[in-house]
Amino acid sequence: MTDTQWPRFMVFQQSELDEPFVHNGTVHAPDPEMALMNARDVYYRRPKAEAMWVVPAESIFSVTLEEQTSKEWQQEAEGAGIEKEFHVFAKFSHQGQCEQIGIVSANSHEAAMRLAIETYTDKQVLWWWVFPSDAVMASEAEDTSSMYDPSLEFDYKSQAAYPVVTMMRQIHAKGKLEE
Amino acid sequence: MYGASVDDFDLDQEENPEQLANFEARIARGEKIEPGDWMPSEYRRQLIRMISQHAHSEVVGMLPEGAWITKAPTLRRKLILIAKVQDEAGHGQYLYHAAETLGATREEMLDALLEGKAKYSSIFNYPTLTWADIGTIGWLVDGAAIMNQTMLARCSYGPYSRAMVRICMEENFHKKQGQEMVILLSQGTPDQKAMIQDAITRWWWPTLMMFGPHDSDSPNTPILQKWGIKTRSNDELRQDFINQLVPDLQALGITLPDPDLHYDDESENWITGPIDWDEFWRVIKGDGPVNKERMAARRKAHDDGLWVREALQAYAEKQAAEAMPA
Repeated sequence: MTDTQWPRFMVFQQSELDEPFVHNGTVHAPDPEMALMNARDVYYRRPKAEAMWVVPAESIFSVTLEEQTSKEWQQEAEGAGIEKEFHVFAKFSHQGQCEQIGIVSANSHEAAMRLAIETYTDKQVLWWWVFPSDAVMASEAEDTSSMYDPSLEFDYKSQAAYPVVTMMRQIHAKGKLEE
Repeated sequence: MYGASVDDFDLDQEENPEQLANFEARIARGEKIEPGDWMPSEYRRQLIRMISQHAHSEVVGMLPEGAWITKAPTLRRKLILIAKVQDEAGHGQYLYHAAETLGATREEMLDALLEGKAKYSSIFNYPTLTWADIGTIGWLVDGAAIMNQTMLARCSYGPYSRAMVRICMEENFHKKQGQEMVILLSQGTPDQKAMIQDAITRWWWPTLMMFGPHDSDSPNTPILQKWGIKTRSNDELRQDFINQLVPDLQALGITLPDPDLHYDDESENWITGPIDWDEFWRVIKGDGPVNKERMAARRKAHDDGLWVREALQAYAEKQAAEAMPA
């Protein structure tokens, strides 16, 4: 067999149940199930997550603000497929990441994108992503505690566990650490 | 689609001055360039070069510290070190991802590393001889990396900038656990004091080299600064690092291996003696103390993991076959 790195999956994280899913990065995996496990190991070593999604990178259609005005993708013919749900993600600030803003129903990626841009007009969007809901592999609610809770106990992974500023202040002032 | 393959980019496209002016105006306004946006092919090339080298450094950077996991003196220190090494593995993945958004594939980046064609930070070609080296790497090496990465977190390319924000947050843990170790060893028994002094003596100069050649010998710097990839020069970052570290190390009773080191009242900088750039170039070109061992360990890890990749592939194929309607 060839020693391949496998397809890419985009990883999304939900930190609290009432918050949107936010894009994190990608993993490579032979199937969605393994992608979810890899995503947990690569992106969830610290609190806090309630759920995560992996989505094949090839099923995400993205349009930047710069591309929004280009005619190329807008002239794609209406899809002939059946209507289905598409998740809409958007990046609102230059420092930000793409986050979940809603769902539209359409019969192609391009149609979903056009509809998203028409629908969500209240804020300036710098980068749009759409992908079909059925492309999502989501972690199960019943797995939340086994997948994400253990990291809550790893206090030593936080810089706050190391009082080095105080230690250095004592040494600069007194030449030694306080007992 | 998101993160198209490199074949989708016309790398020889004629770059018209209007597009370039628009691109540079966007950077001047502090906007982030995202995959899909127009960018000069040289911007793409420089970023792939930098990000892939950065990713390789994270991956090879696991080796010097990984060697001490089984020898950590307490369970807590062992847990900390495992978590740190695991973070470095994750950082390598974040960065390969950022490079992929520019059209590089993970296959070609990993092949370049395994074939010994790729560069990575010269610091990881020095051996970790004692437990004190682990604290020293955390405080000095990760501390130097953070200076560079804090700058890169503001870089103009969105995916690289976001990877850096995440990495910096986690690296602060790496630096502080190391600093705590150095402080405690420096205030410990005579043997512990001697051990930390020896470690700092060996790592001081290689750490200063991590910032790269002097600005006068750094041909890429002007274009990287112009396009907002780097916002500060190698020498500026190195000077900030020296100014931060020297007073703390001296307060701990540690002597730095530099007879010329002195404070300059006028510039308010700590001034070091000359850096041995011959050593730097020798190590970069493959002739450092443990270059061969590092690459051998990386290749062995890759080869030893083959059966896992084969098993995952076989499982995926079986699941797919079972999901097919009969």
